[in-house]
Amino acid sequence: MKIRNTRDGWGAGAQLLHWLIAAGIATAMLLGWIMVNLPNSATKFELYALHKSLGITILALVLLRIVWRWINMVPDMPGTLSPREQKLAGAGHMALYALMLLMPLSGYVLNSAANFPLNVFGLVQIPNLTPESETLAEVASVMHLTFFWVLAAVLVAHIGAALRHHFVLHDDVLRRMLPVRRR
Amino acid sequence: MFRSTSSSAGRFFLGLGLGVIASALPMLASSAATGWEIVHDESRLGFEATQQGGRFEGRFEDFRADMRFSADDLAMSRFDVTVATGSINTGSSQRDSNLPDAEWFDTDAFPEAYYVTREIRATTDGYEAVGDLTIRDNTHEVVLPFTWQTEGDRAEMNGAVTIDRVRFGVGQGEWRDPSVAGHEVKVVVDLTLER
Repeated sequence: MKIRNTRDGWGAGAQLLHWLIAAGIATAMLLGWIMVNLPNSATKFELYALHKSLGITILALVLLRIVWRWINMVPDMPGTLSPREQKLAGAGHMALYALMLLMPLSGYVLNSAANFPLNVFGLVQIPNLTPESETLAEVASVMHLTFFWVLAAVLVAHIGAALRHHFVLHDDVLRRMLPVRRR
Repeated sequence: MFRSTSSSAGRFFLGLGLGVIASALPMLASSAATGWEIVHDESRLGFEATQQGGRFEGRFEDFRADMRFSADDLAMSRFDVTVATGSINTGSSQRDSNLPDAEWFDTDAFPEAYYVTREIRATTDGYEAVGDLTIRDNTHEVVLPFTWQTEGDRAEMNGAVTIDRVRFGVGQGEWRDPSVAGHEVKVVVDLTLER
C-alpha cells in the first residue's frame, strides 16, 4: 500500500488519519457522555481533562487530514454509484469534515469562555481563544451538544453506508479504507 | 570630641554615653520603622494555581495591611495583613462561584485570612518575612522572600512564596485531588506603598 492516495484507493496516510480520528471521536464522545453525567468527583475532572486533551488532538489531526487531502488526489467513487448517491456521499463527507472541526472548536470556545486553562495531556498549555464570557460559554455549550447529536446522526449514516457497500452492494468502498489486499 | 578626652573620667563618660545610646537604640528604632500605606490601584495580592493541570491566575481584590518597614531597622519592621477571602477573583465566573463554598474558603465561616510576621530578616537577595499564615483557622508558618525598594516616599515590594493549599484546608473532599486543582499555589505579592 502506498503512502499517498491513488486514483482507485486511499493511501496509508489517509487511512491512518481516518482511523486515528475515528478512534479519537468514538473515545471523546463516550468520555463526554460519561463525564457530564457523573457527580462532582476527582474522576469527573480527570475525564474532563482527558476529553479536552483528546478534542484538541483530534482538531490538530483533522487539520492535518484536510491538508493531506488537499495535497493528494481523492480516489474516484465507484462507478456503480448513481449520480444521486455520489452527490449524497459528497455532502455527507463534507458534513463530517465540518463537524470534525466544529465539534472540537465549540468545545475549545466553551472552555475559553469559562476561562478554564487547557493543558493538553499535561504536556503543553494552549492559550484561550476568547475572553471570559458567561453568555458565550452558554452559547458554545448549546452548540457543542447540538453538534454532538448531528455528528452522531451523520456517523450512523456514514457507518451504515460503509456496511451497506460491503455487505449489501459487495463493492470496494469499505475495503479501500482498510489496510487489506484488494480483491 | 570624645577622642580628645584622655582622662579615665572621660573614658567613663564615653562608655556611659555609648551605653545610653545603645540602650536607647531600640526605642529610636521603633519610631524609625516606617509605616507604609498600600496604594491599592497599583498593588496586587495574587496567586498562580493549576486546574486540571493547566495554570491560571487569580487575585484578592480586598485586603488591608499594617506595613512597617525600614531597611535599617528590620527588628521593628512588621507586616500584619488581612485578606477578605470572599474578594477572590480568578477571572472565571464558574470557578469563582465555587470558591466561597464550604469546601474551599468557606467565606461565611472564615471571611478573613491573615498573615502576621514574627520576624523580618535580610537575605543575600533581599529580605524574608517569617510569619504565620492563617486560612480557615489553620495557622502555619510561611517564610516569604521579598525585595523592597524605597524611592523617596514610595516603595515597591515584590515577593512570592509557594504554599500547599491542602494544609490550610482549602479544597476539601472531592476537591482535595491534585488532578482537580494542584496542591501547590504560588502566592505573588506586588505592592506599591506610600509613606
